[in-house]
Amino acid sequence: MRAAVIPALSLLLSHSVPAAAHHTFIAQYDPQRPVSMTGVVTRVEWTNPHARFYLDVADESGAVVNWNLELASPNVLRRYGWTGKSLQPGDRVSVDGSLARDGSKMANALSVTLSDGSKIFARESAPALQ
Amino acid sequence: MSEGRRIRAALVVLAIGAAPVLAQPTGVAEAGSDRGGGNLSDPLIVPEVPDAPAPRLPDGTPDLSGLWLGGGPNRDISQGLLPGEEIVLLAEAARVMASRRPQDDPEAHCLPTGVPRVAPYPWRIVQMPAYGKATHLYFLFEGNIHSYRQIFMDGREHPEDLDPTWYGHSIGRWEGDTLVIDTVGFNDRFWFDFHGHPHTEQLRTIERYTRTRLGTLDNEVTIIDPGAYAKPFTVKYTATLRPGWELMEYICNENNQDVGHMIGPGYRDLAQPSP
Repeated sequence: MRAAVIPALSLLLSHSVPAAAHHTFIAQYDPQRPVSMTGVVTRVEWTNPHARFYLDVADESGAVVNWNLELASPNVLRRYGWTGKSLQPGDRVSVDGSLARDGSKMANALSVTLSDGSKIFARESAPALQ
Repeated sequence: MSEGRRIRAALVVLAIGAAPVLAQPTGVAEAGSDRGGGNLSDPLIVPEVPDAPAPRLPDGTPDLSGLWLGGGPNRDISQGLLPGEEIVLLAEAARVMASRRPQDDPEAHCLPTGVPRVAPYPWRIVQMPAYGKATHLYFLFEGNIHSYRQIFMDGREHPEDLDPTWYGHSIGRWEGDTLVIDTVGFNDRFWFDFHGHPHTEQLRTIERYTRTRLGTLDNEVTIIDPGAYAKPFTVKYTATLRPGWELMEYICNENNQDVGHMIGPGYRDLAQPSP
């Protein structure tokens, strides 16, 4: 099985920038640099101002990089119906998101797909709440 | 090589670890399952608000209570300008605004919004006493941060010796069906929006809240600050009711990793208009 972190050019037009948050989204993440990656969840932080999860992704040399992936805040996610148990360490997931501008191994996760194909945390349709 | 190409070239990789066995069917995680149950076909989860007149208290006073979302600027206060209104910055205020970077926004640092800015989280209006003529109104904020505004409705005036604060000193009165809140005593630390519109300690705000229907609360707020603006200006925003929602915990600074990574432009730097 292959996993990848690749720029997802097809997402350029489909991803919207969150319209509201507690900070300026575009100062931290670049919506012109969408990214897709697949890996295994190592930790979930159900915290404010953003829930986060960390994902081990291996590159072609076999080196594992741990990515820091940002979600909406737990109160927003809860209002969607998600909980702190929706994503768990050990889950293998695919993520579509926007890369951090500063080159760190961070991205804003716009959608997360479990290995059975079910999607969780999709958020782009609720810009007013982000 | 561009960074995008470099990433594409370097990171076509092998999976690691074993895939967990999951019980959910393909599609959206099932409601009530351990995974949560968000409904992607209706992701906003906004309850319907009946189209009904604004409620009133037994004495006829408009009842503004409820859980509201919005009702003030967040991204760019100029989006709320009423027809004929304009924002005219004084030279020093223009310099301050131009110097502001997104990572310096107090809201990004989990500090309060001040007035009239709102966070993208709900807030609740509560009056005391619950029935009869209010002596106090409270605006309880879920974010940003957990805090409150206190509006004195008992006829008192502003004190002479106010210390500058994030929410200032607010006195309210009714003009017909409109709640008028006069606030002074602000500090100069909060921004009106992501764009960094500034103000000074001379700021005075006059908010005019009118519950036009059950589900809508208009806020026309006049910004008066001779220290930053050549003339007052008035903006209008509308908060919408969220029946069935409750305030939730939002401790903004428990894990705020954002500001250290904010190196890019702000919305005002973009050629495109703010959405």
